[in-house]
Amino acid sequence: MRATTATTATATASDSATASDTATAADGTSAVTVIGYGPAAHRLVQRLRHHGHRGPVTVFGAEPQPAYQRAQLTSVLDGTLPAGALTLAPLPAGVEVRTGTRITAVDPRRRLVRAEDGTEHPYGILVLATGSRPVLPQLAGAGRHAPGLRVPHTLRGARPVTKGPVVVVGGGLRGTETAYALGRAGHDVTLVHPGAHPMHRLLDGRAGALVTAALREAGAVAETGRRVVAVEPGKALLDDGRLLAAGTLLLCTGTAPDTALARTARLAVRHGIVVDDRLRTSDPYIYALGDCARPVGRHHGTLESAWDEADALARTLCGADGSPVAARYVVRPRLPALAVLGPPDALHAPGDRDEHVVLSDPARGRYGRLVLREGRVRAGVLVGLDRAVATVGRLYTEDRPLPPDRLALLLGTDKEYTGGSALPDTAVVCHCNNVTRKDLRQAWRQGAHDLPAIAAATRATTGCGTCADAVRRICGTAAAS
Amino acid sequence: MTRTLVVVGHGPAGHRLVEEVRAGDRSGRWRIVVVAEEPRPAYDRVSLSSYLDGRTAADLDLTTPRMRTDPLVDLRLNTRAVHLDRGSRTVTCADSTALEYDALVLATGSRPFVPPVPGRDLAGCFTYRTIEDLDALRAAVRPGEPGVVVGGGLLGLEAARALRLLGARPHVVEMAPHLMPLQVDEGGGRVLARLVGALGVGVHCGRGLASLHGDPEGRVRAVTLSDGTELPASTVVFSAGVRPRDELAGSAGLERGGRGGFLVDERCRTADERVWAVGECAAVLGRCYGLAAPGYRMAEAVALQLLGSPSAVFPGADMSAKLKVLGVEVAGFGDVHARTEGAVEFVREDRAAGTYGKLVLAPDGRTLLGGVLAGDTAGYAVLRTLLGHELTAPAELLLAGGATL
Repeated sequence: MRATTATTATATASDSATASDTATAADGTSAVTVIGYGPAAHRLVQRLRHHGHRGPVTVFGAEPQPAYQRAQLTSVLDGTLPAGALTLAPLPAGVEVRTGTRITAVDPRRRLVRAEDGTEHPYGILVLATGSRPVLPQLAGAGRHAPGLRVPHTLRGARPVTKGPVVVVGGGLRGTETAYALGRAGHDVTLVHPGAHPMHRLLDGRAGALVTAALREAGAVAETGRRVVAVEPGKALLDDGRLLAAGTLLLCTGTAPDTALARTARLAVRHGIVVDDRLRTSDPYIYALGDCARPVGRHHGTLESAWDEADALARTLCGADGSPVAARYVVRPRLPALAVLGPPDALHAPGDRDEHVVLSDPARGRYGRLVLREGRVRAGVLVGLDRAVATVGRLYTEDRPLPPDRLALLLGTDKEYTGGSALPDTAVVCHCNNVTRKDLRQAWRQGAHDLPAIAAATRATTGCGTCADAVRRICGTAAAS
Repeated sequence: MTRTLVVVGHGPAGHRLVEEVRAGDRSGRWRIVVVAEEPRPAYDRVSLSSYLDGRTAADLDLTTPRMRTDPLVDLRLNTRAVHLDRGSRTVTCADSTALEYDALVLATGSRPFVPPVPGRDLAGCFTYRTIEDLDALRAAVRPGEPGVVVGGGLLGLEAARALRLLGARPHVVEMAPHLMPLQVDEGGGRVLARLVGALGVGVHCGRGLASLHGDPEGRVRAVTLSDGTELPASTVVFSAGVRPRDELAGSAGLERGGRGGFLVDERCRTADERVWAVGECAAVLGRCYGLAAPGYRMAEAVALQLLGSPSAVFPGADMSAKLKVLGVEVAGFGDVHARTEGAVEFVREDRAAGTYGKLVLAPDGRTLLGGVLAGDTAGYAVLRTLLGHELTAPAELLLAGGATL
C-alpha cells in the first residue's frame, strides 16, 4: 500500500524533472536549503552531517534566536526554566544559519527562495520545516491588542507569567498543559474551553473528567463549554456574560501547519503540505517535514515523529534508502501519566471488528481504554497508569501484540495467580441455594457421589443450574483425594 | 397436636415455603391450607414465554404429584383471601369461607404496574404475569403487526420474546438509559441492545411512554414516547415493574413498607408474631424484592422458624442472575454497578464476537466484587464462586470461561 503511494508520487514528480536531475537530489552533495529553524530543522541538519552529506547547507530562521525546544515553552512560561535552557546545541561548523530572516516566497521554476528584504537565494534541494502557526480567535473589545494578552507559541510569547490571575483561552493539548503548569506554579488559573472537557478531540469523556480533576488539584479551574468573546484590559468576557479577571491572558486556541510558503510554490497542500512516504512534496526538489507537513498515516505530529522524519529525510538526501517513516507515535501531554495512542477517531468510534479493554479506577484517578485489533493496539488513552504508559506505549509504537493479561498490564502488576484450587472452603459454589465447597465435600463424604445425589443432599444445582460444572469438578477433586 | 398454617398465595415463594415445611416436618405438626387466587397451582413465571414456544401449563407447573396428593396440604385454587382478622386469627375468602390459623404466611406476590398514561385501557393492551395474560395475548396478536413492550427489564424482554413467538414485530421502550438496568451495567445493556436489535426487536431506551392512541373501534393503534417518537402498535404489553399486593394489610392493621408491601423484620415476620410475609409482597426491613431467588430465601427462613428454629433469618438478597433473553445470554452478579467505595472496573468487549464482560474489583485490583457478562456467559459459574475472593486466573480468561475451580 505504502509502496504504491510512493511510486505514484515519484511518477508525478518525474513529470517535471529529468532522470539526472532526480539523481542530484540523492547523492549527498547537493546544496540543501532549509526554511524554518525549529527542532525538526535542527535535527535534520545534524543527521545530514551524521549520514555523510557533503554539500553546502543553509538554514533560514524567522525568529531572531537559534533553534529551541518549543515543546518546553510552558516551562519558561511557568518560571521553571530560563529561556536560554531551551536552546538547542549549535549546528556543525560549515552550516550557514540565518536567523531573523523570513523567507516570503519560493520559486520552484528558478529554484530559489526570496527573503523579506528582497534578496534571492538559489537552492539545490529545498526542505520546508516551517512548523505550525497559531490559529487565533476573533475577540471583541481591545481584542488582541489588550495588555497582558499573549500567544505562548514562541519564546517571545512565552516569557514568564508575572501577573495574575491567568486566563488560558483554549483547552487543547497546549492550553491544558499551560493551565496545569501555571496552576502548579501557584497562579490563579482559569482554562476556558469550548469542548465538553479539556482536550476533547484527543480524550474520551472519562479521561477528560480525570484531566479536569488533575487541573483542579493543580489550582486551575476548567470552564468547559464556554468561549471568550471579548477582551478588555484586565478582564475577559465569557459567552455566558461572566467577566473573568485576567492579569495575563494566554491564547492557546490551536495551531495549523504553516503552509503559506508552500502555497507560494504551488505545492499540493491539504491541511498540511502533502508529502509521500519519503517526505517529498509534489515538487521533486522540495521536501517537507515536521508540523508543516502531513505524511500519509501520521495522526499526531510529536517531537519524536519530527525527529524520526528528520533522520529518514537526512538518509534520503544522502543517497541512502531513507526508510519510510513509522506512523505510530504516543502523544504524552505534560500532565501526570497521560498518554494518547493512535488516531482519535478509532478511540471515539471503534470499528465493528475491534476489541475494547477498559480499566476504570475513579477513586485513584486512573483510567485506561485500549482499542485493539488482532491483539495489537489501534488506539488508546491512559490516565494515571504510570507503568502502563511505558509498557503499552512501547508495545504500541513497536506494533507488537499485547500479553494476554491486560488487567495486569494496565495496573502494572505482575503478581501470580493462585489457581482455583486455592479457593477457601467457605467459597459459595451454588449461590441459588447458598451451598459452599465445604458443604459439597461433606455431602461427598456422606455418600452423595453423583450430581443427583449431591442435588438431593445439598440442593446445589437445583436453582439456575449454572454451577453444575463446578459441582462436578469439586466432586472429581474429592474423589481423587 | 396438629396446628394450622395458612398460606395466602401460591406463587413460587409460597410454593417453596410449603415444600420446605413439608420436607422438614417429619412428625406432621403442621396442616397447611393454601389459598390460591389463580385457577392453577404455582408455576414457573421466569420462563413464562416458553408457554408460547411449545411448553404447556403442565410443563411449567412447579408442584409434584406427591405434594398434590399430600393429605396435609389443602390447596384451594380459585380462592381469593379478602379479609384478615388477627384478633380471631381468621382469614376470610371471597367465597365467605373463614380459615382459622395458628400461623399465617402472606405470599400474595405483586401485580403488574401499569403507568398512568392516557389510553392505557384501550383494547390491545395487556399485562404480562400470568398464564391467563399469555392466553389473552395469544388470542389478540395478529402476525406481522407491530407491538410495543413497555419496560426493558427481564420481564419486558421476555414479553418481547412472547410477541416475536406470536409473529408480531416488537419494540421495547425502557425509561432507563439501557436495557435490564437492574441486572447489568450500561456496557452490558448496550451489547444486549445490539444483539436483540439484530433479531429485529426495536430498542428505545432513555424514554418513557407518554400516551396511547386508539382507532375508532377503541383498539390501540400507536403509542407516543416521551421524546415525541410515535410507534405503530396493535398490541401493547405493560411490563414496567410490579407493585406488592398488600391489600390485606389494611383490614388487618398491619404496617406497610415505604413503597408498599407487608413490613417485616429480618426473619420475615410482621409485628404480629403469628404472621409472616415472603416473596414479592414482603417489605423486608422496608425493601421489596422483585425476583424469584430472594423470595426462596425468605420462604426457607420462615419454614425453619415454623419448624422450630426461631433465629432463622433472611440472609439478604443475592441479585445475581444468569439469563437467556431472546436467545442472548446475559449475567450480572455482585456489585454490578461498582458502587463499592474505591471499586475498580475492568471491561473487555469484543465487538466482532458480540461479547462484553466486566469485573468489579476491590481497590486492590484483585478481589472480585461483581461483574457483568453479555453475549457469552461461560465464565459466570466460576466468577460467581470467586465473589469476595482474589482472582485465581487472568481476568480475561475468567471472563471468557476459560478458568476452572
